[in-house]
Amino acid sequence: MSDTPDFRELVGEDLTAEEAERLRRVHDLLVAAGPPPELPPHLQEPVEPEKARDNVSFLPRRRAGRLLGIAAAIALTAFLGGFISGERHGSPFNEVASVPMHGTTATSNASAVIHVGKLDSAGNWPLKVDVKNLPALPKGQYYEMFLSRGADARAASCGTFRSAGDTEGLRLNAPYSLRGVTGWVVTLERPGSGKHPVVLTT
Amino acid sequence: MPAVAANECSDGELITRSADGDRDAFEVLYRRYSRPVFGLALRRLGDRGRAEDAVQETFASIWRAARSYRPERGPGAPWLYAVARNAITDRGRARTEPPTEVPEQASSEPGPAERVESSWVAWRVHRALEGLSPNERTVIELAYWSGLSQSEIAEFLNIPLGTVKTRTRAALHRLSGLLEEELG
Repeated sequence: MSDTPDFRELVGEDLTAEEAERLRRVHDLLVAAGPPPELPPHLQEPVEPEKARDNVSFLPRRRAGRLLGIAAAIALTAFLGGFISGERHGSPFNEVASVPMHGTTATSNASAVIHVGKLDSAGNWPLKVDVKNLPALPKGQYYEMFLSRGADARAASCGTFRSAGDTEGLRLNAPYSLRGVTGWVVTLERPGSGKHPVVLTT
Repeated sequence: MPAVAANECSDGELITRSADGDRDAFEVLYRRYSRPVFGLALRRLGDRGRAEDAVQETFASIWRAARSYRPERGPGAPWLYAVARNAITDRGRARTEPPTEVPEQASSEPGPAERVESSWVAWRVHRALEGLSPNERTVIELAYWSGLSQSEIAEFLNIPLGTVKTRTRAALHRLSGLLEEELG
């Protein structure tokens, strides 16, 4: 199966030869270019450009450092045995950190919060995920959450789920070291497809 | 003469206005180019954190160096591309890499010339995508990079299939105009 969309399906059959050729060139350029990445929320807006006259960096500091900080904070908090929130729905869940996620181009209204629980003795970081506005999926399709490490957005799976609009308290798990984690993504998964479009990202 | 809204200005006009301290012009420039810069940086550096730093440094450089832009030498996009490339190269140099062993066989990876050409194509295309309406951009991104068919896009976005087809075709038409402009 080819991952390139069918040009004729996209534009239909009722084009003049000249028009078809013109759109074909655009089609080829889009295929060659590949997808643009999603901008992280803190880079959505420029901030105080006047300061750039004197300072090299005028935008908020990068997210990766913050995420590494989150991972370190998670480890430290778990080590100290502290927790922010405790019992939920009758089962113990000691939250040590929460990480917000936002939608991508196709899911701009969607969002989520990952609640990271305390590391258990077997090496699992339990996760509870509250999801908002993710589209319901046809039968056979599902969402999957991954830890990201650097450029590898899908470094390690934390589990799969389905959602219909708003879903609270999804139970997932990260049985990995959080060292080097630079974020989380949720992808749309369709059996037989080699593509994994990101629908939520940190 | 009434001032032209920043949104309607060419890239070159926005750079010139930024050089005069026009913050609105700079913000429009940022919206047009922050994603292409991030994409270029991510491909070159392979690390989101460093790519984010490169975006910051690129726009800091644009704000500082806008006075060096000469409209008579060409449009704004290549100038911006050069500024971004330099900022990304600087960010790459700052990286402390462990020594690597010399490979025994020639790499099948694209060479520097091919990489530059593909980066430039991606730069132009990603810049053009910023000129689409959000609705049009969404269907294009889903069709090209999510592997969804037109009917799957309709289902995913909960809109009629006819609307998906109309938006896709309109978006391709608009892109053809935007890319022609970019190509000069």
